[in-house]
Amino acid sequence: MSRLVVSNLSINRSELPVVSSLDIAVESGAISVVLGANGAGKTTLLEGLSGIIPVAGGTIEIDGREIQKARPGVRSREGLAHVEQGRTVFRQLTTEENLRVSLHAGSDLDEAYALFPELVQRRHVKASLLSGGEQQMLVIARALLTRPKVLLIDEMSAGLAPVIVTRLMSAVRKLADNGLAVLLVEQFAALALSIGNRAYVMRRGRVVHDGDCLKLLKSPDELHRLYLGG
Amino acid sequence: MNALLTSAVAGLTAGGTYALLGVCAVFTYRLVAVVNFTGAAIGTAGTFVLIALYEAGYPIWPSVAAGIAAGTLVGVAIGYIMTRWFGEASASTKAAVTVALLVGVIAIGLRLTGGQHPHNMPELFPGSAFRMAGVEVTIASVLTIGLAALFTILADLFLNRTKVGLNLRALADRPMAAELLGIRVQLLSLLVWGMTGAFTTFALMIIAPQRSPNFMTLSLLVVPALAAALVGLFRSFWRTLAGGIVLGLVEGMASSIDSVSQYRSAIPFLVVLAVLLWSQREARWDEAR
Repeated sequence: MSRLVVSNLSINRSELPVVSSLDIAVESGAISVVLGANGAGKTTLLEGLSGIIPVAGGTIEIDGREIQKARPGVRSREGLAHVEQGRTVFRQLTTEENLRVSLHAGSDLDEAYALFPELVQRRHVKASLLSGGEQQMLVIARALLTRPKVLLIDEMSAGLAPVIVTRLMSAVRKLADNGLAVLLVEQFAALALSIGNRAYVMRRGRVVHDGDCLKLLKSPDELHRLYLGG
Repeated sequence: MNALLTSAVAGLTAGGTYALLGVCAVFTYRLVAVVNFTGAAIGTAGTFVLIALYEAGYPIWPSVAAGIAAGTLVGVAIGYIMTRWFGEASASTKAAVTVALLVGVIAIGLRLTGGQHPHNMPELFPGSAFRMAGVEVTIASVLTIGLAALFTILADLFLNRTKVGLNLRALADRPMAAELLGIRVQLLSLLVWGMTGAFTTFALMIIAPQRSPNFMTLSLLVVPALAAALVGLFRSFWRTLAGGIVLGLVEGMASSIDSVSQYRSAIPFLVVLAVLLWSQREARWDEAR
């Protein structure tokens, strides 16, 4: 049973506070969805968690071990995987080479192909030539092969057709059902809430709502109010 | 005609060294995204460790090993500076930093080695390997070209056939994405710097007796090396290898023609200019339209 606990987290960009006094928790088998308007601090939050940018204060714990001062590679080896915004495939490598880069002891390429069978036919194709949906599948599968305890996913629906987004969401749900803890940052609120367990809504770097996903899904007016304030 | 051929063959040793330094520059650029102006200076530092030990009376081959180890360490030290503080900087910033480091290494090197003070550089591989069209081809020529070809083949195999090579290619493409997957980015980068430092040092040890062995002259061999790398557009190892050898041959031939021999050190700059103009021709054509 793995658990990511974030307490009193603050992150600055250019010395300006972007995330302040933030508390979030994610557990094995569950998806925590982070929603919010543009500029709310969602991407900054994930970048701070994975170590791309340093945190200004607070703690990040995986299974009780503090990792907020560690480099991104160390956090990865502690079990944190981050699927960045923008489909960051290794463009010059083939699909299979992208997957082999992240192969760890105990992981197998078949796991990636079982999650996304679409990639089997494209395994010898350069990643830069894959479609947007295939690239997104590739980066999720690649993160899976690092044997993570916690998976952070940033805006995986950006620029993709709804049918592909639905396909990706169901794959993420499957990963959580297999025991992974998932923290999903998403603009596609309705679809994200439909697969999530716990919802956080951020505004100006702070959590303004922490509750059940289905409950929030059934209250679109409440969601609208939380996004816009007032 | 025979004099021209003799001069061209004499330029082969220099060509092999340019090729090896150029291939190392491409290797560094492709894997850690740095246009490295300190390449030859790193090798020069190692070479002067050999010279110092040899002049102090130590046997030659242990001194060579110590020199290569020193060149590797200097390479790793410069690599540490680049990865620790400039890992996320732009390509132009990284290149500018290596220029600054080059100036610093040359200044320290000249201070420690007595400036223009003449040194007793041992010839590691004296003698002739074979005769070609009546011209002696030295062992040093064959060795530098062989070493450059070996490095090219090894680099190709290493990058395409090993897991570490695959990780390095991923690192070169997206350093942060690679680090997020748990790849030991800093360690791999230092490995690249160390490997190129060792090869560069050995190449310069071979060529040093034929050059004026002072710290500045050897360090500035980076100019023809980068010209060779430009011929390969900083991507192709084989084109860089060919570019370096041809550059050495042309320089050699130029030395036997009285009217151009005094300008032969400008040849690498002409190559740089020609390749840049050629590679930018489409942009200029588009602009003209």
